[in-house]
Amino acid sequence: MSVGGADEFRRPTPSTNQTRIEGALHVNDATEVADEPPIYGTAGAAAVRAEGLVKHYESRSGVIEAVRGVDLAVESGEIFGFLGPNGAGKSTTVKMLTTLLSITTGSATVAGIDVGREPDEVRRRIGVALQEAGLDPRQTGRELLVLQGRLFGISPADSAVRAQELLALVELEGAADRRIKDYSGGMKRRLDLASALVHQPEVLFLDEPTTGLDPASRLTVWEEVQRINERGTTVFLTTQYLEEADQLCDRLAIIDNGRIVREGTPARLKAELRERRGLETEPTLDDVFLDATGRTRDRSAGDVQEVLA
Amino acid sequence: MTEAWVLGQRALREGWRTPEALLPTLFIPLFFLVVNVGQAAKIFPGDTTGFLHGQGYGAFQLPSSLLLAASFGTAALFLVEDIEGGYFDKLRASPVPRTAIVLGRLIAELVKGVLIAAALIVLGVIFGISIASGPLGFVLLVALTALWSAVFVGFMQLIALKTRSAAATNSAGLIFFPLLFLTPNFVPRDLLTRPMEIAATLNPVTYVMEALRSLILEDLDWGAILPGFAVVAVLGALMLALNVRMIRNYD
Repeated sequence: MSVGGADEFRRPTPSTNQTRIEGALHVNDATEVADEPPIYGTAGAAAVRAEGLVKHYESRSGVIEAVRGVDLAVESGEIFGFLGPNGAGKSTTVKMLTTLLSITTGSATVAGIDVGREPDEVRRRIGVALQEAGLDPRQTGRELLVLQGRLFGISPADSAVRAQELLALVELEGAADRRIKDYSGGMKRRLDLASALVHQPEVLFLDEPTTGLDPASRLTVWEEVQRINERGTTVFLTTQYLEEADQLCDRLAIIDNGRIVREGTPARLKAELRERRGLETEPTLDDVFLDATGRTRDRSAGDVQEVLA
Repeated sequence: MTEAWVLGQRALREGWRTPEALLPTLFIPLFFLVVNVGQAAKIFPGDTTGFLHGQGYGAFQLPSSLLLAASFGTAALFLVEDIEGGYFDKLRASPVPRTAIVLGRLIAELVKGVLIAAALIVLGVIFGISIASGPLGFVLLVALTALWSAVFVGFMQLIALKTRSAAATNSAGLIFFPLLFLTPNFVPRDLLTRPMEIAATLNPVTYVMEALRSLILEDLDWGAILPGFAVVAVLGALMLALNVRMIRNYD
């Protein structure tokens, strides 16, 4: 964590499931002490770098410019938040960085590897959990994780051990041999997260990992993301929940209409807005977001709505 | 190859755990076999119809049912589910060779094709059809049917990857019916009208059907068998190449 004194600030608020989370931490610690994997990471280099990243789509109505020149640098070991309204270009950017979409122009490196030139090398170094939990509903949680390990070249025996470790990490040991179609939304998210970690990636991409989760499940995911990060994995996180970004992220960027409109630590972005607007009270990250994306709050008929300023 | 086999095992589990998708591939071809034989068996009695080589009309119709059973392409619909559910992107984000992603499903389709073909042939034998080409002929019959199922699912996967739509993929599967009916489906090629004979000669499915039919009605006739295997080899290589290209360029 690179932001001084922010650890306490980021820790999720204690809740009714705190005991469960602590219990899980204890179990995990025990599991990991026995076979502590090495700390992995990109050792000082920028974990993610994008320069002039552009994505155009051809459509019947013409060319759609989804991303219009994104420049980014995510340092190794960070939790980097990538925020923006719906359709701003968050997921498109993530898909380009994770080799799932071709880059129209510009360049990107992940873990020091050129995304366009060596996509397979990039794939070996990243973990990906996209907006829709990419799971096979007909498999069990354990089968899915073992398969994922095998696809990354891990032997059957080691894949089975790794699957067990990850099931403990995401608290799904009890449901390990149930079909995924019977999992709740929160369980699916946690399993998706686990499947992204099978090969101990250097950079973990999480695209809206808590969307649709109840508050307890969200807190569990936050805990897991922090724990993963503490072990050296850089996390690139997109989210629509500003509280989540505030709690978790060392730095963040806000994208709107395919362009980065703000970048910095949450504290610095808030301080900048306070100074620029001459505000008397500390603004929230919501205020920063609304300011950056040209939106404001409109109070009419008792409802609060976001509208373009 | 390890990855292809691992993905093939997963696709087999998927099929095994969805029997409701697998059972129609056995029962519908059986239904067509019974109906076709019921409608035409009296027109072509076994003892006086030369092209039946002494067997009943069911032996002549069995290849149509085998090809129908091998042309459901349900694996392509599972692929659409993977695409819609996000698992396909998960696979694409892993360093698995793109060829393995395609081969995994084709391997599973081959295994399913073997089981379904064997079941249909055994049922045919129980009801009096004999395999004139013997045990080797039985193996070739099963192998050719299974290879055709992999070819056809390769075609269906192309539609699935292009459209990413279950409805479009399902509709594309109906192309098999014109292909089936433009073959010497009910009578040998030399008894077709001239336009139908030309259409059947141009239709690659004809050679697969004639190879299957030859294995059931005659002793090993390589002149009829090899063209069938050549068709599945060429089309199989083409489908594999096109599928891999499609996944590599998938955006």
